[in-house]
Amino acid sequence: MKAERKKKYISLYNVSKRECKNLVSRPIYLFCMVIAPLFCTFFFTTLMGSGLPTNLPIGAVDQDQTSVSRNLLRNLDAFQQIAITERFTDVAAARRSMQRGDIYGFFYIPHQTAKKAIAQKRPTISFYTNSSYLIAGSLLYRDMRTMSELTNGALARETLRAKGLTDDQIQSLLQPIVIDSHPINNPWLNYSVYLCNTLIPGVLMLLIFQITVYSIGVELKEKTSREWLRQGNNSMFISLWGKLLPHTIIFFIIGSFIDVYLYCYLKFPCESGLGPMIFATLFMILAAQSTGVVMIGTLPTLRLGLSFASLWGVVSFSISGFTYPVMAMDSWLQGIANLFPLRHYFLIYVDQALNGYPMIYSWNSYLALLIFIFLPFAVINRLKKAMLYYTYQP
Amino acid sequence: MKFSDIILQGMQDTLYIWKREFRLTVRDQGVLIFFILVPLLYPIIYALIYNNEVVRDVPVAVVDNSHSFKSREFLRHVDGTPDVKIISYSSNMEEARGLMRNKDAYGIIYIPSSFSKDIARMEQTHVSIFCDMSGLLYYKAILSACTEVSLDMNNDIKIERAGNTTDRQDEITRYPIKYQYIPMFNPQNGFASFLIPAVLILILQQTLLLGIGLSAGTARERNQFKDLVPINKHYNGTLRIVMGKGLSYFMVYAIVSVYLLGVVPRIFSLNQIGLLQTLIMFIVPYLAACIFFAMTCSIFVRNRELCFLIFVFTSIPLLFISGISWPGAAIPPFWKAISYIFPSTFGINGFVRINNMGATLDEVRHESQVLWIQAGVYFITTCLVYRWQILNSRLHVLRKHREMKNKRLLDSREAVE
Repeated sequence: MKAERKKKYISLYNVSKRECKNLVSRPIYLFCMVIAPLFCTFFFTTLMGSGLPTNLPIGAVDQDQTSVSRNLLRNLDAFQQIAITERFTDVAAARRSMQRGDIYGFFYIPHQTAKKAIAQKRPTISFYTNSSYLIAGSLLYRDMRTMSELTNGALARETLRAKGLTDDQIQSLLQPIVIDSHPINNPWLNYSVYLCNTLIPGVLMLLIFQITVYSIGVELKEKTSREWLRQGNNSMFISLWGKLLPHTIIFFIIGSFIDVYLYCYLKFPCESGLGPMIFATLFMILAAQSTGVVMIGTLPTLRLGLSFASLWGVVSFSISGFTYPVMAMDSWLQGIANLFPLRHYFLIYVDQALNGYPMIYSWNSYLALLIFIFLPFAVINRLKKAMLYYTYQP
Repeated sequence: MKFSDIILQGMQDTLYIWKREFRLTVRDQGVLIFFILVPLLYPIIYALIYNNEVVRDVPVAVVDNSHSFKSREFLRHVDGTPDVKIISYSSNMEEARGLMRNKDAYGIIYIPSSFSKDIARMEQTHVSIFCDMSGLLYYKAILSACTEVSLDMNNDIKIERAGNTTDRQDEITRYPIKYQYIPMFNPQNGFASFLIPAVLILILQQTLLLGIGLSAGTARERNQFKDLVPINKHYNGTLRIVMGKGLSYFMVYAIVSVYLLGVVPRIFSLNQIGLLQTLIMFIVPYLAACIFFAMTCSIFVRNRELCFLIFVFTSIPLLFISGISWPGAAIPPFWKAISYIFPSTFGINGFVRINNMGATLDEVRHESQVLWIQAGVYFITTCLVYRWQILNSRLHVLRKHREMKNKRLLDSREAVE
């Protein structure tokens, strides 16, 4: 009995050793397991390094040319996110500039605006944003609207003063109700925090799917699967464990490095502390590897398995709901979203790092990842059959 | 051989290669997955996910400590906006936070006990909103609903206090200057209209990279020397190989483009205001640049399946570097420079402008010029790497030939002895 167990450990060790040799001998492993994830980490965090885009170029169509209009535009230019880079004489020219992609929006002040305002004829000013660029458009909208409100406030103040009100009274008169917004734990509305926390694990997960499928599928393709199985004591379980353990270790080192980089070096909000996030990363890696095994198990052809992995990995980004919320999707898609491990990792991240809730609140996401981890048992026999009898067709 | 004969033969070889590559493409199941299945299905998946365009009825919890007519009026208006839905009136903040922890609510609106008293006393009053920041769209929905309502109520309060006598005066006090917001080219600020055009263009480039990479991998695996260029009397000129192959890919992708850029936006009724001839004039250099770019990159693919591992994950960074979601004006100069390598950067920007904003060829001149330059540069690099490959394969054949000859010599010598 004891000898039997010892034999199992030895074969586990042998399979791992064999896999380590594979990992070293093919440069693609180095590329996909180390270089690509680290590159993406570096890429996304430096691309959005400023957190919020600053000085987005906009245009001004000032046909009024009075102190009122100049004042308005000067104040608008002073907003951090806005830079008035171009001036036009008419709206058509501004629109063409927008179509050329030089500006993201423009502010239009028509003829005699100031004069009409003083004469109480209620002129109209307008602002246009290019909403094809959604982020730029909504940031500009916020600032341009604030500016329009402020201008109105300034003019209304004149009227009220004429009615004999004091400045203190006017202040509270102009804005009786103020909205104080508290974006919890991301008060800067930092886009890097908002996107990188899920984008980078998403890339890692896509690569784990692919590498897991590839490393198993390539044994089928190159007809080494029987040898692999033999080394694993003819047990699919030991063979898989031995093969994927070195991967798990490498991916876990990379994943932990990413966590440390995001939460300690870049100081992204991490209310729960680093520990729970590293724990979640480990769960995510194991779930992704298991999903990879299921993929090659259901489609035991290298090409089809990789197609499956790529499809699942890429769709994860959209369906996990970190940019476009799951609640806004159709209800059948909301159900399907649960089949993507990234969705559950995202929910854990929100609970732990962003909001700092106790881990008990994420129990269902952890349970879901745990189910993913045990899923390979469903395909293990099918995979073994493929290992023994499959022939590769290009 | 006369010059005209060379030209004639070159043309014939080009046609031969074109035909052969086309047949190979159609017969290879793997390539067909990329060239037909992925372009057919991916856009549909994306369009289904983003189909509802905006998030509606974000659930929020309310803590109303004022319990007054005014506070109820405020909340009723907030609940009436399409963005927000009040799911619970909690008695205190702790209860509301509990709802957020269980993800029943994504925000809290807190109205202080002094709310209506402050308004009556002509003092400023503060309504606090707390938002879950897991998605910026929740924040945007809750904030814009509350701001909208507060501005409306502020105006009513202003009018009450100003003591005007006529409706006209009311209006003037409300807004001495009217203002209007015009979101252009995507009037509902929808997610699908913003993201899908970019994804469509990216799919063209990425499937070409994958498909051409795959067929290059196949060619190497079938070749006895693991070379890209087969030994065939028609395959003995760089230009004819590159042109022949390029032409066959172009033919397939002309059809794929019609589906992706013409049919898909129509199915999901996305913005589509570009002129057809502008679009054609723009897409031709884009496809040419993508095809030659992919042919150059295919040199790195040594095995059939490696192209998955090398190219798939790049789609995500490429989408971001194009400046469609993260504004191009905010991309650091280093990454901006890197983005010039990829046809997708210019393809996405140009197409979005033509398709969503109705730009003419003149307004996307910069993009189409860069695409023509890229097409030229990648054509040259493709020729260079193919030239190198041809020389390689000739070298291998020669070496093999010499080996065989030596062996035969040796055999015959042995036989003599």
